[in-house]
Amino acid sequence: MRSEDDLELNAYIDGELSPDQQAELLESMRSDPELARHASELGQLKAQLRLAYADPPKPQRQGVAKVGASWRAIAASFLLLGLGLVSGWVLHANAPGLGIQGDRFVVLDPAGRGQAPAITEEGETRIVFHLTNPDQTLAGELLDDVESMLAAYESDGRPLRIEVVGHSEGLSLLRERLSQHKERIHQLAGQYTNLTFVACQNTINRLKVERGIEVKLVPDAEVIDSGVSHVVKRQKEGWSYIRV
Amino acid sequence: MKVLKTLVMAGLVGLMALTGATVAASEGEKQKVVYHVNGDNPKQQAGALRNIQNHINAVGKDNLDLRVVMHGNGVSMVLLPEHLKNVKGFKAANADPQMQARIDGLKDQGVAFKVCANTLNGRKVSRENDLYMVEESDIVTSGVAELAILQGQGFSYIKP
Repeated sequence: MRSEDDLELNAYIDGELSPDQQAELLESMRSDPELARHASELGQLKAQLRLAYADPPKPQRQGVAKVGASWRAIAASFLLLGLGLVSGWVLHANAPGLGIQGDRFVVLDPAGRGQAPAITEEGETRIVFHLTNPDQTLAGELLDDVESMLAAYESDGRPLRIEVVGHSEGLSLLRERLSQHKERIHQLAGQYTNLTFVACQNTINRLKVERGIEVKLVPDAEVIDSGVSHVVKRQKEGWSYIRV
Repeated sequence: MKVLKTLVMAGLVGLMALTGATVAASEGEKQKVVYHVNGDNPKQQAGALRNIQNHINAVGKDNLDLRVVMHGNGVSMVLLPEHLKNVKGFKAANADPQMQARIDGLKDQGVAFKVCANTLNGRKVSRENDLYMVEESDIVTSGVAELAILQGQGFSYIKP
């Protein structure tokens, strides 16, 4: 938004520009449809406001405090609204953690393992890896990446949180029978408290219903109701997203 | 009266500006996108490059800060076919003349191609000898870390 233009446009609409200035502005509008549109919007806005807040007829009743539709009251309320929005926006932008207070990591595991807090600290890097591929070589490379990041951040003393979400065919990594990295997962999960392996309940249910498979997860997997909605939630919370 | 009206207008325009600020690519700012390539299927890789060209066509090369991060098997996109035997762990080397031409075309339009150092080290790949036109400045320490860093800087993430 160009504020000089807005002031000039407002002046134009209020008939406060000299003929030369008006001509100049009209010339700009001719070559800039955005400007012209903006001008007509402001013009319409002015007309609507004038119509909406024309002086109402005086009330007949006595003894009632007059709260007329005064310009000052309207202006003050708009400014207050604006201030509220601005401060809310500023606060929201500066404090990403505030929005997710009390939004707990859902753990359906009956043993109640791991209550990984979803609340972020200042400057914490948070990455959610979304695994949908059954290939165990690819999964191994993912674990390589994850492990090297965890080690690097730890030695630098920088806070890091990683989640590996297995959904659809990616659940294989977290299944006792299919995973070729059970030892490694167990070792990493034990070594790094900032690492969480997450399994998708919907996928588990689907495997039961469609193929009669009773999924047995590796002991270190937490369970979330929906893998996809979890990765979306994380992205909205400001986590980086990497699809494997 | 006029002052009040201007104040109200300013307030309303300010509100409109705030909602405009939520749009990712606001006026005058480049749209920032990172494409993640980590598969070695040449058709898929060519498809990704095509996506990128479409993206450029849609948004305009001057309005884009578009980067490609290759890691793992995705480095095969810039691996020279004759050098496949020199490296470990790769089943494909897809930088044939056609792929080279596509990459050059995109570089001319401002696209940056970044390569993961961890992959190069792990698979014994020489940047100068085995890869197509990858400069030192194109190397990032870790492909996935780079993806996370860029997202932290406001880049959108696309995995074609």
